[in-house]
Amino acid sequence: MQLGFLVDLRLCMGCKGCEIACKVENEVPLSTWRLRVKYVDVGTFPETRRTFTPLRCNHCANAPCERICPVSALHYIENGIVNIDKDRCIGCAGCVMACPYGAIYIDPQTQTADKCTFCAHRVASSMMPSCVVACPVEANIFGDLDDPMSNISKYIQEHQGNVQVRKPEKGTDPHHFYVGGGNVQLNPLASFRGEGHNLFNKLTHLPLGGHH
Amino acid sequence: MVHETIAATNAIVVLDVPLPGIVWGWIITMNMWAKSIGTGIIFITFFLLKKYPEQTGFIRFPAVVISIIFIHLFLFFTVIDLHQMFRFWHIFFYPHLTSAITIGAWMATGFVGLLFAMAYAIYLKKDEAMYDKYLGWTVFLAIPVTLYTAGLMAESTARELWQMPTESAQMILAALLAGTAAMLLLGGNKFSDAIKKDLGIILGLSAFSAFILYMAEYIFGGMKAEEVAATLDFIKGGEYTIMFWIGQIMAFIVPMVLVWMSIKKESYYLLKIAAVSALVGLWVAKHVWLVIPQLLNMS
Repeated sequence: MQLGFLVDLRLCMGCKGCEIACKVENEVPLSTWRLRVKYVDVGTFPETRRTFTPLRCNHCANAPCERICPVSALHYIENGIVNIDKDRCIGCAGCVMACPYGAIYIDPQTQTADKCTFCAHRVASSMMPSCVVACPVEANIFGDLDDPMSNISKYIQEHQGNVQVRKPEKGTDPHHFYVGGGNVQLNPLASFRGEGHNLFNKLTHLPLGGHH
Repeated sequence: MVHETIAATNAIVVLDVPLPGIVWGWIITMNMWAKSIGTGIIFITFFLLKKYPEQTGFIRFPAVVISIIFIHLFLFFTVIDLHQMFRFWHIFFYPHLTSAITIGAWMATGFVGLLFAMAYAIYLKKDEAMYDKYLGWTVFLAIPVTLYTAGLMAESTARELWQMPTESAQMILAALLAGTAAMLLLGGNKFSDAIKKDLGIILGLSAFSAFILYMAEYIFGGMKAEEVAATLDFIKGGEYTIMFWIGQIMAFIVPMVLVWMSIKKESYYLLKIAAVSALVGLWVAKHVWLVIPQLLNMS
């Protein structure tokens, strides 16, 4: 079994239901996110549109975070999820430095690394990840990539040529796919990020979670 | 920071989470800087004892003391940078051998053990032969201890600027630079002009080689990877430009010039100034190179 995730960006409407569901399910502390939705505005008025891109851990087959972790706190479980053992983590932040997707953060409460685990605890009980359940338009598709009859495998087959991963040049072999995405959504260097121009706040940098 | 956008798309991030702050900051800079001195002085001690055994015997004890001090500074900064520092022992009891951190921790432990063996040999046993025997093994372990940080930076897949071949060369050069500088300050006027000249040459060549590598990356790095180009913007007119050049000038250019003047005039008092400049500048140069890839947004 190899669990994977796919987001159909053509369906996502940026409601952030997944983000909130993740926060609640996993008790993610303030100022940190396991999953977030990035808004990018494209075009020039009046020909403009807003794109929405949910961003989470990619559960890579060749995960840099797993490789760099000195104590195997980050580890693969048998269904392909890159999980984290917070009791073992020493908080060296090597994984934070290694992840090309910025998906790992230091939990300010536990002083350990944390990230999306595809809700491994729910999956172990045969439930879907909380973000999948919360999505009102079924833009999140989760399932077994090794099973050709799973929803995610069928979706990938149906949309061949339009399935992308983030930063394929990194060689991480992500198990998180996007359908209908463009360069501006998946490549952080392809959009302008102004200082202090976020919609809901003017924060551009946060102190690292923890005691430093 | 925008590199690949085009006017037609005019893509602007309007909502995202704030960027995280610097994850590896001055504590890790201290780690690398202290390690450079701690291993570098062992390399230089080995060289001097091989080439000038009669004249440099007195450095055996102070050299190992300096190495012990700076390696423990390195270990101290390594541990305090951990968010769960009291779990440091997990590295030894739950080791993950693909991690450069694990390998480095084991190598450094062996290195420290050998340093204490050397101190025991020369201070308590007064046995120079035993000291020199341990020194050979210590030099052998000093190589991976010096290099493991380069491995760690290379494993940081997110930071395209840090490439293993360059970083490993830079780590060795930093150790030679810092070790020579420390030895010049340690030996003072007790060294003959021939030894000072040799140390000056090592200092100058290390500075020259490291400077060439930095400049090569500065000029050509961005031509191969967009992320590197975006990272280098922080030192090409960006917020770390002045600090970058202060580091380059103090760590490499000033020592090169002073070494050249010393050798030309056959007067070596300037080498101490070169040594101090190299040590201070090395910290600044390392810090800038450590921080700038962390300023880049990953998503």
